[in-house]
Amino acid sequence: MIALPSVNWAVVAPPVVLGAAGLLVMLVDLVSRRALRGWLYLIGIAGCFASFATMLRIAGVSQTTLSGAFATDRFSWMFDALLIFTLAVSLALSALKKAEDGGSPASYAALLVFCTVGGMVMAGATNLIGIFLGIEQLSLALYVLAGTGYPRESSKEAALKYVLLGSLASGFLIYGSALLYGATGSISLADMGAAAASPSPLFVTGLALFFVGIAFKLALSPFHIWTPDVYEGSPIAITAYMAVAVKAATFAVLARFVYTVFAHDSIALVPLWAIAILSMVVGNVGAMRQRNLKRLLAYSSIAQSGYIVVALAGVSTGGLSTMIFYVAAYAFMNLGAFALIALVGDGDEAYADLGAYRGLFFRRPWVAALLALFFMSLAGIPITAGFMGKLYLIFTGLRAGPWGIAMAAALIAGTLVSFYVYFKVIWEMLVREEPEAVGATGNHWIPWIAAVAGAAGTLFLGIAPYAFYALLAYL
Amino acid sequence: MLIEAVIFLPLAAAVLLLAIPKAAAAALKGVALVATLATFGLSLSFVGGAAAGVSDVHPWIGGAVTALYHVRIDAWSVFFVLLTTFVSVPAVWAAFSYGDGARLRGYLILLLAFEWTLLGLFTAGDLLLFYVYWDLMLVPVFLLLAGYADTPQARRAAWGYLLYNGAGGLILLLGVVGVVVGSHTFEVLGHSYAVSIVAERWLFVAFALAFLIKTPVFPFHAWMPATYTYAPPPVVAMVSAIQSKAGLYGLIVFALPLFPHAAAWAAPTLLALAVISIIYGALTALGQSDAKTLVAFSSLSHLGLVILALFSFAKIAVPASVVMIVGHGVIVAALFLLLGFVEERTGTRELAAFGGLAAVAPRLAAFMLIAAMAALGLPGLASFSGEFLIFIGAWQTQPVYTAIALIAVVLASIYMLKLFQGVMHGALREPRPSKDDRLIELKPRELALVAPLVAAMFFIGLWPAWINVRSPASTPAAAAQRVEGRP
Repeated sequence: MIALPSVNWAVVAPPVVLGAAGLLVMLVDLVSRRALRGWLYLIGIAGCFASFATMLRIAGVSQTTLSGAFATDRFSWMFDALLIFTLAVSLALSALKKAEDGGSPASYAALLVFCTVGGMVMAGATNLIGIFLGIEQLSLALYVLAGTGYPRESSKEAALKYVLLGSLASGFLIYGSALLYGATGSISLADMGAAAASPSPLFVTGLALFFVGIAFKLALSPFHIWTPDVYEGSPIAITAYMAVAVKAATFAVLARFVYTVFAHDSIALVPLWAIAILSMVVGNVGAMRQRNLKRLLAYSSIAQSGYIVVALAGVSTGGLSTMIFYVAAYAFMNLGAFALIALVGDGDEAYADLGAYRGLFFRRPWVAALLALFFMSLAGIPITAGFMGKLYLIFTGLRAGPWGIAMAAALIAGTLVSFYVYFKVIWEMLVREEPEAVGATGNHWIPWIAAVAGAAGTLFLGIAPYAFYALLAYL
Repeated sequence: MLIEAVIFLPLAAAVLLLAIPKAAAAALKGVALVATLATFGLSLSFVGGAAAGVSDVHPWIGGAVTALYHVRIDAWSVFFVLLTTFVSVPAVWAAFSYGDGARLRGYLILLLAFEWTLLGLFTAGDLLLFYVYWDLMLVPVFLLLAGYADTPQARRAAWGYLLYNGAGGLILLLGVVGVVVGSHTFEVLGHSYAVSIVAERWLFVAFALAFLIKTPVFPFHAWMPATYTYAPPPVVAMVSAIQSKAGLYGLIVFALPLFPHAAAWAAPTLLALAVISIIYGALTALGQSDAKTLVAFSSLSHLGLVILALFSFAKIAVPASVVMIVGHGVIVAALFLLLGFVEERTGTRELAAFGGLAAVAPRLAAFMLIAAMAALGLPGLASFSGEFLIFIGAWQTQPVYTAIALIAVVLASIYMLKLFQGVMHGALREPRPSKDDRLIELKPRELALVAPLVAAMFFIGLWPAWINVRSPASTPAAAAQRVEGRP
């Protein structure tokens, strides 16, 4: 008889409660004959609140459970909170999905919830098995969700591309994990410090493969090829979820890995810095040519991933809080932007084209003004979260030696290019012409709430970052 | 608290405008005008206590970076603040005649927001706040150019403006971060920054590049002609009169005191650029057929003089520069607003396409004449005091450059007279701009909004001491500079 490890239920409660909500969604769909779609999303959102309620009990607690395989601490707490927020927004935006867009609402809502359970496992995982389980749970559900716009060819293409390339990345990840285990004799990240201090070839190979897998999930260049097509093809609520939640959860894994395994900056991390710089270049330059806002935000997310890596530069003490700050900023500005694209499109994916936004400032000033705010934040204009986040990143980079300085320089150069990218959208919104694609008259209240919440977060982090740090210190 | 009132009153008014329906044009105009007037009134109260200075400090950001929220109005900034609040009144007022009414609200909001960012910049007490406003002020101008000028040229000019100034901003950010990484604080006002001479030079280059782009100074002026020519008159009045001084302010308050040794090292280059700007600007202005482009290049020429003054390290460099800056701001705002009225009436800016307006619009002609005379440096008017002080001061340390720069005074007379005669004298062209000649004359509102600017030209021209005795004469850092700057 194998002795089961004892479980501290308070620590695992958030993902467990959320998972239960996912099951409840499926159960309700099963028993109710004519399931009202909206109710299923609402159950999911209620699950978000319930899960968050259990998180309140462990705020500020730093504990591990399941024989040290799963942890809760400030770091995972912040990421869990962001994941839940993203889930709630994505579920709400999903309610705009047109009925003819395919996919049963129940499986759709449940999968989205299960994705997030995977993300929370990732944020708390402290060994290689936990990391892999979390990533697979998140990814498998998302492969399906990418295809839920399936009457559109592009959605099928997105699902297929995502599943093929995603499986390849998972292969890299598990193979890398195996080699890391081989090199260190342990699956626990905490036991790998010694091996990292004097890395063997086996360890370096495993590390490289592991990073390839992670870089794929983060859409870091040169592993970003799937991103624009998958972002464009997926339904808008799923694109928003992918852009924010997948990145947040994967950055949680990357940060925990780097901070647990490497006590100091290491030569073994140089490839990570290099692909961060490459991502900033590829993302910003690639975004210049895009005329579809979902594709534009896909390239933008490649560049933003590159920026976030700068937080890890030099494995410095302030790095983790800098990362949390930027990921939060990233979440607010992206969710806000995607919510407005959903609002303008009103469930029709064709309106992500820039043509539909021509003259928006004079037709729908508030929509245009909020969208401009989110794009300015992405560009890093002051009094927005994006500016403060970049400021913190630049300082973190500059204090971290030559590679950190190189990354900070690339961040600044990329920012100039991104001025063109984001202001081009604003510029189009200011033209005094009738739109090319007439329509775009959506005015549903749900995306409005999401956009206003995103704007509040963006401005709050941009104007009063000290309050955010006070919160971080309190936890 | 009074400082915050001055800084945020325009922003508060802009927010208030959001709550007023678009159709209520009278209410929109009333709020905007009262807000700018009140801001000007409040800012006047700082003149008396400028020597002592007023400041307000709160904790602001923490984490990997710590900074205070620090604003102040003192001898260094008070005239920049006054210039901003003073010129914003006619600029906002002139915007009342804009367009079809439906978009007036957005236009006024952006102008007020622009005033707010400029005031924030001039009152910033630390580098972070200074940088925040430095970058932020790009936004209203970009939006005004792209959305409210209604010409394809203006929409294109928005890009030149944004990318040039955005690049300058990011270079400045590098410099700011460089200073703070070394000194661990954004609170650098009034300090010099002790680092290795190589680092100091690099940081100075970063600061100076950003400031020279904004001013602009040759060869960083590529964004300027299109922006000044195609921007609507109220916008170009604020950009040329106030925003162009942001770079000079940055040099006076941050770059020169922070990096005295590097400034002395770079002085020959900057003096050369200043003189090239002065002569090149004047010569190019001579060749212009577009009235606004002509004034744009004259502005390049005049602001080159300020750079000459600052890097001559003359004893009176700072007070002379401030007199010149305020004078230029008042004059150039009046010129652009008047040319805007002319363009409104004639539909063109081409000097060859109109003429003889003096016959039908004597008041317009009189104001135009005073502004043009002031710009060419007629004694008793604003520009003369500044130019005279600068030439006297710079002559003592840099006679060669000063002598070359003096040529520009002659050239200024030629292009300004060409401008005035082109618009006002000669035969009235056919077809006439309006069937009723009386419609060409300035309307009461237009008269009222330009009159204070014209009055200010006389005031500064006749009593420059009102400004220069209140300007800081010198600081320890500036003194060190003077010693090292001597050839």
